[in-house]
Amino acid sequence: MSYSSLPEDVLEHVFSFVQSDKDRNVISLVCKSWYEIERWCRRRIFVGNCYAVSPRMAIRRFPEVRSVELKGKPHFADFNLVPEGWGGYVYPWIRAMAGGYPWLEEIKLKRMVVTDESLELIAKSFKNFKVLVLSSCEGFSTHGLAAIAANCKNLKELDLWESDVEDPSGNWLSNFPDTCTSLVSLNIACLGSEVSFSALERLVVRCPNLRTLRLNRAVPLEKLAHLLRRAPQLVELGTGTYSADLRPDIFSNLAGAFSGCKELKSLSGFWDVVPAYLPAVYSVCSGLTTLNLSYATIQSPDLIKLVSQCPKLQCLWVLDYIEDSGLEALAATCKDLRELRVFPSEPFGDEPNVSLTEQGLVLVSEGCPKLESVLYFCRRMSNDALVTIAKNRPSMIRFRLCIIDPQTPDYLTLEPLDVGFGAIVQHCKDLRRLSLSGLLTDRVFEYIGTYAKKLEMLSVAFAGESDLGLHHMLSGCDSLRKLEIMDCPFGDKALLANAAKLETMRSLWMSSCSVSFEACKLLGQKMPRLNVEVIDESGPPDSRPELPVKKLYIYRTVAGRRIDMPGFVWNMGEDSALRLS
Amino acid sequence: MELQLGLALPNHNNPSAGNGVGFKSRKDAANKRSFQEAFGNYKIRDELQMMPLLLWSGPPDEDDDDRKGQKKINSCNSINKNEEEGEELVVGWPPIQSWRKKLLFHGQHPQQGQVGRRVSKFVKVKMEGVGIARKINLSLYNSFETLANSLIHMFATYQESEKRGVRYTLTYQDKEGDWLIAGDVPWQYVSCFSLFFLDIIRIDLEMVQLIFRTFIESVQRLEILRCGAVESRP
Repeated sequence: MSYSSLPEDVLEHVFSFVQSDKDRNVISLVCKSWYEIERWCRRRIFVGNCYAVSPRMAIRRFPEVRSVELKGKPHFADFNLVPEGWGGYVYPWIRAMAGGYPWLEEIKLKRMVVTDESLELIAKSFKNFKVLVLSSCEGFSTHGLAAIAANCKNLKELDLWESDVEDPSGNWLSNFPDTCTSLVSLNIACLGSEVSFSALERLVVRCPNLRTLRLNRAVPLEKLAHLLRRAPQLVELGTGTYSADLRPDIFSNLAGAFSGCKELKSLSGFWDVVPAYLPAVYSVCSGLTTLNLSYATIQSPDLIKLVSQCPKLQCLWVLDYIEDSGLEALAATCKDLRELRVFPSEPFGDEPNVSLTEQGLVLVSEGCPKLESVLYFCRRMSNDALVTIAKNRPSMIRFRLCIIDPQTPDYLTLEPLDVGFGAIVQHCKDLRRLSLSGLLTDRVFEYIGTYAKKLEMLSVAFAGESDLGLHHMLSGCDSLRKLEIMDCPFGDKALLANAAKLETMRSLWMSSCSVSFEACKLLGQKMPRLNVEVIDESGPPDSRPELPVKKLYIYRTVAGRRIDMPGFVWNMGEDSALRLS
Repeated sequence: MELQLGLALPNHNNPSAGNGVGFKSRKDAANKRSFQEAFGNYKIRDELQMMPLLLWSGPPDEDDDDRKGQKKINSCNSINKNEEEGEELVVGWPPIQSWRKKLLFHGQHPQQGQVGRRVSKFVKVKMEGVGIARKINLSLYNSFETLANSLIHMFATYQESEKRGVRYTLTYQDKEGDWLIAGDVPWQYVSCFSLFFLDIIRIDLEMVQLIFRTFIESVQRLEILRCGAVESRP
């Protein structure tokens, strides 16, 4: 009996066990009948670029989807490189899905512009809506959230992760009807204004399955204890402001409330933290796996005391106030650590304000055998340190190093850091994400092209010497999906010579590089499945053809050119010559 | 396959490398797609036709692209330094999310109202004879004593074989740029100076700040001097 002769419902059942999008895609390529069966039983789609496919096409192919995840703007939008009004609007998707997916349950969006109108449409279109995750989104207000609260009766998750929300009032929370008891996760940490505490408290009390609660900075510390006593089942907690006048009664009340939360595994928030109140969380530290202290401006000794209480920690986000000494303590205590992010407390100063060097990262790479994900901002690095880190942790999957001053050489030898990053890609065979910084020549890209065969996302700034660098990356990194480059001397030759590679990738971003307008035009005209978009706020790029284009965003698409381009974006497709002239 | 990671720069004149890329072993050269392959006689790899739009003539020539490229580096990678302010004006660098920037480096959340009694105030602090400067959050302290003790403790690790009995003076730079000894003005307003009170006695805040100068309000930088060193400041 061959696979193709299996009854449809049997195959459908088998496919339902295949969770990964990649595997589902592979299944659909086996034969026509598998393609048909698979598309009818696909419940979840992920679209990494909302312009890569049209909502209509997605709905036509997968008619029974329950969960949609969409991403909009390029990653560099996080760092202010994408002008306001660029695009990434979710409304066309919501409108199409309102008709096509009446049973949609989940929408997860990242870097998209979400209007109140979109939220209202979600609220009234999907009868069994459960999950709304808006990650780094913008364009909406608490009015839209009020519509979601009022109408989505089975809402389980509302997550506004680092979104920019206009919030004229905190009263929207009172729009959750008294019958709403289904919330499992509520993240309002990004909201600026005060929320109605009584509405929040009532909501928390009536949702017995609430596991995640991330408050915003406006919730005072005195109220936190109150909430915790009503939700001792919480697993993930984001505190509000963590400061109050020093009073023994406040402290003991808070410490008592924390000690009742036996399930807590994750803590974040700690806005405006007063270190004297930190010991209130010590009683739950032994169970913590995740600690986000990246907004907590506390000094190393207090951080050391806290981290030393958390032997099960798997993920730590922290400011560089932790310093090398704190990272040493981390390496000694947290043997389960998988992810470390160290953010700069003062990235714009000329001199270091803390004693955080490459040594801290070396120590963690030695002490934490499970470390696989690193984001590290520092001011000095050496090839020796990078080689040591690479050898210590060959299982590294994500390695993002930001040496704050661009083009900083190895501080010991004054050589470029090519060899160090070369060691990272050579030893870490499963590396999927890499960000480079420091002084780098084309040689580092040769190493990357040779070794980084599983690399999917690569960020480059102020590096390389010539087109050779870009050529190495595009021709060598077989798995590359996203490449983002700023301020590098990469130009036409490498781009045009690897034009076909771009069709295998999700996107390429190049700003302040050396790509000419002519090359963009050629690429746009010859590669119909690529949208080649030049972004220039100072006017049409063909008015200064002798200068390199300012910003270039290239992405593959089956939807053709997008129709919502603002005046400062030019598509370099077939008729670009006509349109521009 | 191991690439020899050495510190030498690639040798562009080495004829055996052929492609001017400086591979150290033949094995590598065999495994990696060569430039001729990539730009000239392209092959079908992984069912993907790597059809270039441009045929690269080979390694970049000295007189052609190399020099151009070099110029490009200079133009691209130059960082616009505003000499007067010493501020680097590179958009997008360092790569910190705008969200984080807004929260941590532009003070309070813009939409935040009266929340959070303690407004963070970060100032740079140095200690005479210590190379590294620090930034501290003044809102975490309540008095000159706790501040001075904490700072001396903080810098203690950088002091080599410090003699016992050395005394320190905490100095600060005010808004006018003058260096003063901490303690010459009160730490903070007494709480009765509420806006309500000011309203009643009808003087504006600016005037009050002029009359009742406070340390917290005027301090811009801090420096700890060893006792007796105040006069030696240039």
